[in-house]
Amino acid sequence: MDVKTESYVAEAKKELVNPSSRMFLDFFLPVLSAVREIGLSSFPAPQAAVERARAIRRQSVGRLGELLETFERNAMKAGAKVFWAKTAADANMYIRDLINRHKIPYVTKGKSMITEEMGLNDVLAKNGTSVYETDLGEFIIQLLEKPPFHIIGPAINIPTDEICRIFMERAGMEKPTTDPVALGQAARDFLRDKFKHMQLGITGVNMAVAETGSIINVENEGNIRFNKSAPAIQVSVMSIEKIVATMDDALHMLRMLCRNGTGQKLTSYVTVDTGPRKTDEMDGPEELHIIIMDNGRSRIYENPKTREVLQCIRCGACINICPVFRQIGGYPYGWAYTGPIGKLLNPLLLGLDRTTDLYGACTLCNACKNVCPAGIDHPSMILYFRNRNMKQDQVLNGKGATFSERFFANTAGIAGSYPIVWNTATKIGKAAAARFGADHPLVKAWTEKRAFPPMPKKTYRDIRKK
Amino acid sequence: MKKAALFIPCSVNLILPGIAGAADLVLKRLGVTTVYPDNQTCCGQMVYNKGFFDQAKSFARHFIQVFENFDAVVCPSGSCTAMVKNRYPTLFDDDPSMKKRAELLSTRIFEFSEYIVDVLKIEDTGAVFNGKVAYHESCHLNRDLGISAQPKALIRAAKGAQLVHMNNADQCCGFGGEFSVAYPDISNALVESKVKCYLESGADILVLGEPGCLLNINGYLERNHPEKRAMHIAEFLAEQGEHHGC
Repeated sequence: MDVKTESYVAEAKKELVNPSSRMFLDFFLPVLSAVREIGLSSFPAPQAAVERARAIRRQSVGRLGELLETFERNAMKAGAKVFWAKTAADANMYIRDLINRHKIPYVTKGKSMITEEMGLNDVLAKNGTSVYETDLGEFIIQLLEKPPFHIIGPAINIPTDEICRIFMERAGMEKPTTDPVALGQAARDFLRDKFKHMQLGITGVNMAVAETGSIINVENEGNIRFNKSAPAIQVSVMSIEKIVATMDDALHMLRMLCRNGTGQKLTSYVTVDTGPRKTDEMDGPEELHIIIMDNGRSRIYENPKTREVLQCIRCGACINICPVFRQIGGYPYGWAYTGPIGKLLNPLLLGLDRTTDLYGACTLCNACKNVCPAGIDHPSMILYFRNRNMKQDQVLNGKGATFSERFFANTAGIAGSYPIVWNTATKIGKAAAARFGADHPLVKAWTEKRAFPPMPKKTYRDIRKK
Repeated sequence: MKKAALFIPCSVNLILPGIAGAADLVLKRLGVTTVYPDNQTCCGQMVYNKGFFDQAKSFARHFIQVFENFDAVVCPSGSCTAMVKNRYPTLFDDDPSMKKRAELLSTRIFEFSEYIVDVLKIEDTGAVFNGKVAYHESCHLNRDLGISAQPKALIRAAKGAQLVHMNNADQCCGFGGEFSVAYPDISNALVESKVKCYLESGADILVLGEPGCLLNINGYLERNHPEKRAMHIAEFLAEQGEHHGC
């Protein structure tokens, strides 16, 4: 998918006044955060459950290499084919070749963030392969050619009349309707036909269990189950961090993932697959291909300051609670991941130089860290990014500070150690701001919508000295 | 007799000195001798949040030197307290002796309301306020320092004050230091949403413990709802009946 992280400010400005985005953001996000609270309260000891989840994720990532090898061994023992993809291109090529080898005319997909990151749909389109997204939201935005608005509700902001229009135009719907149930039925009719003749289904993976070699998916529509059980060939793509050690760990993380994402104790469908169909089994794919994709994550892993981001389980709790996301929605983030987790993953995967506004536009309010069931300290990593960017970090592609930024910080740093210099400088600054500041862009940014209090004659220090 | 050193953040010293005066007054009223070390400068949060960790270190070194010999340092700002308490120790991972000093100071610095409730063990400060009060849970007090019950206990204990519920009380007001001028559109949208909740709460006054939030919220109120205002908790507690609602 296209990277549009550099138009963050412009996109945000648009979204702040976009009525259909506002409707969703103002009402639905606080509801999602509230149902999360209710969901968590169904644990006998909610905080202990959260702490356990954080420990599981910390340990899973701590033992990443070993667990992945165990997973590979057990998945292969169960009959799956495992492919290690170093880059997104490697993963895309593997899928393309598989499709071409079997002369497959079209594929169906379950909603997955990883294939957004890979840009798989574009690659397959270029190959002449039709791709049908089968998650309702993902299906809608695919037809509209829009990026996902939210990782759990990719089309949650799209009004029903727009869905009606595009369904009539591109999904064979005959009579216009804005009834959500009828629209759902239209999508169902269209996709059911695709499912009937499908030969290859592609899904993501919510969790991979090392001790059993199983992959787990959660969903509410049943389309992923279709993608995993109906075709002859199933391809499931996972990033390396999806691993957990044991089924017991996986079950606890499932309880966490669902409660944190949608407030549900469990989603309507949970599928656990261990290998393809066995000889004595009725259904399931004949071939199961599991692609384990790195795409820059080993580098994230190598740095102890960034490793923590791999603990993420993509529940979306941080997104729903983020005050900035609640104002601007998902589009400004400009790539696969949005909200606080997007502020971490996009810069790490794309480079700090192209994503300055993602980690810049944060008030460091700590709401994300507070809710994260995976134990990620987003604000600290955001501060780390700002530091690495100023330091022109080679590995993370830091831009470096501008002359005036560095000059200001250096001067302040020195003045801060000399009270006389500091007090004189801040007083001069105060007087200058009061006298000449009105035209300065920073002052204007404040005073356009907000008043600034009159500058008092005396500082507290002066008052106290008397 | 308790003794406390006052750490007065730059925004208070330069723009809102009334908050420092009020904090001093309340502490004195509660029997605390206050000291104002006049060689104090700034905690360095502003450069730190921009990513200039090395420069923040020189602020931290000076700060530690100024304040480390006091048993208690009291500050009327959550984010400046959090900078010293939670960030300073992480700045000196490569300097064990400085790290030790930072960690020691970290146990001795208190946010204003935290000091009154947790150290002095006082809730009734003798404050009088006739009216409904909403409380804004400033991010760094609430989530960085875990301070939420203390200011609310102080408000509840004020004579005549009725603490009322405010929706999304713990959502950021959109200040965020440089954020407010670097991303003014998002910041404005956030403060607008905060003020909407304040107005809906039916409160006569909005009390909070963070000078940054105060500048932001009052700045917006003055333009759009000049009859309403927000007040720092120190100013609120300094009230002894001369002020009746808004």
